[in-house]
Parts: sequence; C-alpha cells; structure tokens
Amino acid sequence: MTSLAEPDSWLPEPRTTSAGGGRTSPANPPPSRRSPLRRRATLVGWSFILPNFIGFALFTLVPVLAAFVLAFTHWDAYNPPSWAGLRNFARLLRDENFRVALTNTALYALGHVPLTLALSLGLALLLNQKLRGIAFFRVALFFPYVTSLVAVAIVWNMLFNPTSGPVNQFLHLIGAADPPGWTASPTWALPAVIITAVWKDMGYYMVLFLAGLQTIPREYYEAASVDGATGWRTFWNVTVPCLRPTTFFVLVMLTISSFKVFDLIFVMTQGGPGRSTLVLSQLIYQVGILDGDFGYSSAIALALFLIVAAITVFQFRLQQRREQ
Amino acid sequence: MKHTKGATIVVTIAATAAALTGCAGTSGDSGTAPGKTTLSIALWSYAQTPEFKALIDAFQAANPDITIKPVDILNNNYRDKVTTMLAGGDTTDIITIKSTTDYAGYAAKKQLLPLNDLQQKLADKKLARLDNYDWKGTYYAIPYRTDFYVLYYNKKLFKDAGLPAPENLTWDQFADQATKLTHGSGTGKVYGAYIHTWNAMVQGLAAAQTGRSQLDPSDYGWMKNQYELTLRLQKAGAIRDFGEALNQQVSYQTEFETGKAAMVPMGTWLIAPLLADRKAGKTDVDWGIAPLPQTQAGQQIATAGGPTGFGINRRAKNVAAAKKFIEFAAGEKGAEAVASIGIVPAYQSDAILKRYFGLEGIPQDDLSKKAFAPDVVRPESPISDSTAAINTVLNQEHGLIMTGSKSVDDGIKEMEQRVTSEVLHQ
Amino acid sequence: MAVAGAAGPLHASRKAKAGRERARRVALYVVLAVLLAIVLTPFLWMLSSSLKHDIDVLSIPVQWIPKDWVWSNYDSIWSVAPMAGYLANSSILAVTITFLQVLTGSFAAYGFSKVRFPGRDALFLGYIATIAVPWQAYMIPQYIMMQQAHLTDSFLSLILLQAFSAFGVFLMRQYYLSIPDELVEAARLDGLSDYGIWARIVLPLTKPALASLALLTFVNTWNDYMGPFIYLSSNNLWTVQIGLASFIGQYSAQYAMIMTGSVISVVPVLVIFLVGQRFFIAGIATSGMKG
Repeated sequence: MTSLAEPDSWLPEPRTTSAGGGRTSPANPPPSRRSPLRRRATLVGWSFILPNFIGFALFTLVPVLAAFVLAFTHWDAYNPPSWAGLRNFARLLRDENFRVALTNTALYALGHVPLTLALSLGLALLLNQKLRGIAFFRVALFFPYVTSLVAVAIVWNMLFNPTSGPVNQFLHLIGAADPPGWTASPTWALPAVIITAVWKDMGYYMVLFLAGLQTIPREYYEAASVDGATGWRTFWNVTVPCLRPTTFFVLVMLTISSFKVFDLIFVMTQGGPGRSTLVLSQLIYQVGILDGDFGYSSAIALALFLIVAAITVFQFRLQQRREQ
Repeated sequence: MKHTKGATIVVTIAATAAALTGCAGTSGDSGTAPGKTTLSIALWSYAQTPEFKALIDAFQAANPDITIKPVDILNNNYRDKVTTMLAGGDTTDIITIKSTTDYAGYAAKKQLLPLNDLQQKLADKKLARLDNYDWKGTYYAIPYRTDFYVLYYNKKLFKDAGLPAPENLTWDQFADQATKLTHGSGTGKVYGAYIHTWNAMVQGLAAAQTGRSQLDPSDYGWMKNQYELTLRLQKAGAIRDFGEALNQQVSYQTEFETGKAAMVPMGTWLIAPLLADRKAGKTDVDWGIAPLPQTQAGQQIATAGGPTGFGINRRAKNVAAAKKFIEFAAGEKGAEAVASIGIVPAYQSDAILKRYFGLEGIPQDDLSKKAFAPDVVRPESPISDSTAAINTVLNQEHGLIMTGSKSVDDGIKEMEQRVTSEVLHQ
Repeated sequence: MAVAGAAGPLHASRKAKAGRERARRVALYVVLAVLLAIVLTPFLWMLSSSLKHDIDVLSIPVQWIPKDWVWSNYDSIWSVAPMAGYLANSSILAVTITFLQVLTGSFAAYGFSKVRFPGRDALFLGYIATIAVPWQAYMIPQYIMMQQAHLTDSFLSLILLQAFSAFGVFLMRQYYLSIPDELVEAARLDGLSDYGIWARIVLPLTKPALASLALLTFVNTWNDYMGPFIYLSSNNLWTVQIGLASFIGQYSAQYAMIMTGSVISVVPVLVIFLVGQRFFIAGIATSGMKG
C-alpha cells in the first residue's frame, strides 16, 4: 500500500533509511495498481488530511484564491470591483517601486537565509548534548524569538543609533574610523535589518534542528560506532543525511518567510530611509490597505507568489535529485 | 481509539473558546435597554486621548437616552484597521477622522454619509477648518477640534541666554536664535531647537507658508529654503541629528519638557499634554508659545493646520443619533468639554477662548495669546484622491534628504519625477 | 569539532579520552558564554529599561544601568492596563490554537507521508504554496468572509484562522519522513490500522517534533500582533501584544511600560520552553521498535 509510487512525482520519497550508516532499505514491494486497494488508500489518506484540510481550505485557501482573482480587477477594498484584465500586471512591469521592493526582498533573502541556516544549525549541534546547564543555554538562545516585536524594534534601533549607539561605539573602540550609519543610511539599513532578523530567528530554527537531531534513530549511531566510525565520519554519514528532511524544511521555510518578510521591517524602519528597506509585503500592504488599490496590490502578491513558488519547486527538485 | 478522543477534546475546546468572552477589562456591550440607543464610535488610544472621554461624558449627560460605545483602536494602525473594518461591511456608526489624508481616502471611496445638512446648520458657527473637509462640494465630516503649528519656547533658557522672547521671527532669525541657545555637550547638551522627523515639519510648513501645494509636482522648488535651513541647523549641531532622532524615537514632548531643546515648532496638540504633565508634577518647564517663524519679516502670520472631526459610516445603524452627537461635539457644549482639557475646539467664541486661557498652567502672556490668532491657516497637505500616495513618496525622499543621502536639489527633482510618474500617471 | 559524535553513544575507550573530553568541554562553555553575551545584550538593556522612568528609556547617551530604579513599574503595570486579562486572553488563544494545530497537523502529516494515494502530492503542493502568499495580500478577503459569518471580534475567528495552518502539516510531514517505512509496514502486517500506527507508533516516535511544533506555534500565536489587532475589537478580548502596542499613543509613548510588559510577556513562554525542552534532550526510546 505504501508503494503506489507516482512516476512523475518530484516530491522527496520517504527513503531516509538508505542514509543510515551503510544500511540499505529493503526493496519496496512492486507497485500495485488494483483499484480496491487504491480506493481504500485514498479514503484512508483523505481521512487523515480532512480535519486540517477543511479548516485550511475554508479560512486560508479560499481567501488566497479570492485575492488572486482580485489581481485582475480594480478594487478599492470597498466599492464593487471592476474588471481590469492584465492592466495591473502591465503596471507592475513599469512600476519602479515594485522593482525596488523586489530587489530589496531578494537581497534580504540572500543575506538572511544562509546566515540563519548556518547559525541555527551550528547552535543546534552545539546544544544537542548532555551538558550541565544546557537547558539554560537553549532557553537563552531562544529568547530573542520570544521577545515582543515592539520591544525588539526599540532595542535594535537604539543599538544601531549612528552617533550614540553601542554598536558604533564598539566599532570605534576596535578602530573603525567611519562606522556605518545603519538604519539611518540607505546603504546600511538593509544589513542592519538582516542582522536583527538573524538574531531574532536563529533560536527558532535551532529548535527545529534540535527536534530533527533528536528524531534520528539511535540505532544508526550505534551501527556507525560498531563500524568504527567516529567524530566527523559519523557526522557526515549519519547526522547530515538523517537531518536532510529537517534541513530541507528549514531551507524552504526560511526562503519563503524571507520573501514574505513584513513585521520586523514594518516596526523597525517602515521601509526607510527612502525606499532602502521597502520589501514586497510592505508594498502590498501600503498599496492595498493604505492607498486603497487592492487590485494592484493583489497583482504584486501574485507576482511574489509565483517567484517564491518557482524557488520552492527548484528547491524540491534539487532535494529530490540528491535523494536519488 | 485515540483520535476519536482527540476529536472530542477539539470540539470541547473550540466550544469553550467560543463561549469565552475574554478576560481583560469590562465588556462594553451589555445589551441595549428598550428605548435606548447605543451609538458606536471608532476612535484611537481611548485611555491616552482624554478628549474622547470628555466629549462622550458631556454628551451622555445631556442625552441620557443614548449610550455611547467607544470602539478603541490602536493609534499606530488606526487607518489600517478602519479600512479593513469598512471593507468587511462593519456598521460602527461614527468614524473619527484622524487626518485629512485619511479623510481623502474615506471620501474618495464614499465610505461616509454626506453631512451637508449639518454643515449648513452649523454655517453661522464659523467652525475653524471646516472648509478642509470640502470634498468637491460635499462635506463628509464635521470638525470638533482644530490644530495649527506654533512655536513652543522655554522661557528659562531664553532668559539664561539673555534673549528676548521669540516674537515675529523669520526662519533665518529662528536659526540665529537656535545657534545662540545651543550650549553644553554630552549628556548636558541643550539644543537651540528641535525639529521633529515628520516630513510635514519641512514640507508641510513650507507649503502652508508659501501657499504652494504638494499635489502639483511640476515644481517643488518652494521646499528648498526650508530644507537648506533645517540642514544648516543640523550641520551646526543646533538641532538634534535626524538619523539619531529617528532611531531613538525621540519624543518632541520629552525634549521640550526636559529642557533639552529651547524651541520646538509643533502643533497646538502639544498644549494639553504639557498642561497635564505640569499638573502631575512630571515637568517644571516654564513655557510659552509664539507665532511660527515666517519666511519673510512683516508679512501676515501664516501657519499650517488642520481639523480633527467625525464622520458617519455609510452603513451606520443609528444615523439620527450619530448626527446628534456630531452636532453636539462641533457645537458650544462639545467645545467646552474639549477646551477644558486644553484641546483647541473647532467652535470658537470669546467665551470658549476665555475658558481656554483660564486653564491652570496655560501661558498668560500677550505673545502666547497672539500665537493663538494666526492670520492664515493653510492645510499642511491639501486633499485629493492621491494625497496618501503622494505623501508616501514625499516622506521617503524626506528621509533621504535629511540623512544627507541625497542633496536637496536631487531630492526635490526625484520627488517631482516620482510623483509625476508613480502617482499621477498611473 | 566532534560535536555530533557526542550526541551518539560512543562508549569506546572512554578513559583514554577523558582529558581531551574535558578540554573540549571547557572550550564549549567558552564558546557558549560568548554567544550568550552577544545574544542577550539587547535583552539586558530591555530588562534595565523596564526599571526606568519613561523619559530615561531612550535617553542619549545610552543608559545601561537605570538612574533611578523604578521597581514600581512592575507593580503599576497591572493597574495602568489590564495586563492580567491580556495574559489570560493570550493564553486561551495560544493554548487552543497550539492544541488544534499539533493535533490536526500531525494527523494530516501522516496522510501526506505514510499513506500513498493519487493526488496526494499535488494536494501537498497546494498546502505549501499558500504559505508563500503573504497574509497582507488576503487579509481583507479573509476578513470579509469572517464578517459575513459574524465571527469577527471573537476568539473563534482567530482560532479558525490560525489553527489549521499549512506550517504544522509541512513540519510534521518532514519529521515523519525520517521514520523508516519498514516500521509502518511491519505494523500493518501485524494487523494494525493506519490510525493505530499513527497513535501508537508514529506519535510516540516523534515526540521531539511534536514538542517543537507545539512550542513554535505557541510562541507565534503569543507574539502575533496583526491578527488579534485586526480581528479583536473589544478591549476585553485584547491580547498581550495589543496591550503592549496600546502604550504607544498619538503623541507620546510609555516606553518603560512597553519594556516592563515585554519582560513580563516573555516569562510564560520561557516557563513552557523549560518544561518542554526536556523532550529535545530526552531522545527517543527506539530500542525494541525494530519490529
């Protein structure tokens, strides 16, 4: 029943066992195409998915689809919409704000994704051991994520103050003659936001990695140990492959959340100075809710969706290739 | 089986949660008694904006058959929430109009009921800034308060520096005074002035005093003088650095109350908190107000200002009661209520002015009284369908000019070009 | 760094390695201490600011130690705003949403990872795809739907919106992928139904994942600002985050109260983390599960 493999499926197969310390998974039984079995599997599968799916479809999927339809209209979020065809998308192509926001968003993702991924994985490996006081360290590193965003914005703007902020005072101390203006400078505002975001998010993804590390069956380590593997070899042969579903999840979620970044920038810089930290989600919010042009903001959202979807599909493909 | 037990728990929890009515504070909705009307008003920061309570209490005392239910919305995201509520078909009766930019948005979408009948009824009252709500001949809101920019100054710091009170200043003289008033360094530094980070502090004041409009992007050259003056002061260290003020979320009220800045150009809304803080013993600043500095000497006193008012939701359920409330708030009784806490009412009469200047702690000198009667008050930003979008662009470029990332000329050119291409030719 | 090795039970020649092991530990503590200092500095300032007067919070130059120790902030915040009620509201929401999310998410994840049926992967893709749409883009259509159903201004609206998110399904599915299929297959041969396998085998095996999903959902709900702000209008329904933002008025902000409130709002989450984090180190009892 578990092996009705769809030949054109590009999603990762649940085949992690092949990664474990030189073991190989037993061959799956040949695919069965007989329909009663198949129908039963379908029923069972749907019965699992349904409780979540009903809520999800009703309260998320439907509004999302509605927004996509609205992308083809002029709508002020109040009066009846009028059909706009592709006009919103034509406007998108010549909209300087869209270009700026897309560039900023991409740059943010380029900085935020690798830094957070590396740091959170490093922290999880560091903290996944039995040490005195380990619980304290874990809690402490998760602190930033728990802290309310209103406070985070106040604290980091204070730290990044170009003239009297501790960050620049420290840079002065270690000999930087002309430290950056951070959130008061169009060049450095985005790096400042990225630093704050990494600080805030790494504890979050660390928790995911910790859970992933704990889910690795211990037998694999035992087997590796019996085989005489130690240290690095165990890490590369057991930890890395077994952690792959988690790493993949973190990578996908990080990428998606980077492209949708909103809250932090909204409270920290409001997109400024100038447009230097204007990101797509903020543009959507600005245009759709404050300027009353919801049709156009939906078109931006659709464009953002297509970009993120393309990247995610690419990541899934890459993941699948590595699995094979 | 386990999952059926789980399902039972889900249902139980969801049902409990649905039945829960929340734990914070008192529930405002206690059912309407027969014959009584419950009027709902969307407003912001109820606990920190005492004028709302003053108005509501006064109205309820005069109209015992109408109960008012405030819909308290966070100040920072008032506009966003009201937009969402109205999109969803919300029936809150009265919408408080926070700014003329917001007003333009509501009016363009026709989200409010025309109030021309009320406007005509109140015509003889000469409500200040009522004409700011003229939207192509229709009035969708009626003001209950008005604000305009004046110059707050610290009398002690002026005395210490041996300077006379800042009467009839031009902006250049203002800059001179500010330089003279600046002294000290580090923690003890006192700035001659504080210019807040809003783009209105440069663009809005310049627009009002030159009589030009942000709606016409063909030439924004009229902003240049004001920008150069502000940047000069910033470079000389006579005002706090823009970037620092923005990052540190510097509060103009705190700067003034703690004697960190000798002069602060700011709206009349600052009066009420100053009075309240002095009364509560939070500050002992000895302050006065003067007319806003002018572009040239010997001119009429021109300043920027605007109304705050109430409009009626197009989907309101209690239109008659809502009109009653708005008429009350804009009239003498409402004016008395807001004036008693230091807010400048839109309705102005000698009796109200007298009452206002009779408030405990308000400056009594002639200059302060003169500051209260500017010759011309123009809107800091005229209203149209594109006010909000234009303001977004102007605010972005303001940040770039003030942080020194762009020269004044480049910034102004960019504003003209961007407003033309991004907003008007869309 | 043989960090990963330490997680595995490497029992061989322990004595010989004792010295090297101790050096490694000392180095580890040093690294952790430095990391901690960097990560916690902003929080220390927050803590110190929660004991200042409003006007001292953002004073220039930066104050690391309060000029006056205003301990009364921690007393007055409960009367300045109904903080206790806000905390209770946040708890109700966070607990309910977390419970539903973990339950339905892990249930659906089983369907997406251990049962094969046609259309499964396309459906899963649909789930993930919606994650890529920012909430700001469909906030208004969603609000209109809720308003039509007369659900706005109630906890139920937020619970329905947030309890069935795709995040939990995706997360749990990824962890289920690391459970060997042989295990499930063997259980099926033993005559266990899929529901039984989910409840008795898969769930116990993924306790760390369940714990982390619960923790992260709880924190996300607890810290959410825009959702409660848009959906909860009545003051008696307000959550902690709305309460904190309400200290920012039109013309001034009570910064000390924001900091005090933020410190208080962190405490419940930290307690939960401390209680729940044992799942991350406890490991899983896999022995005897080889069927």
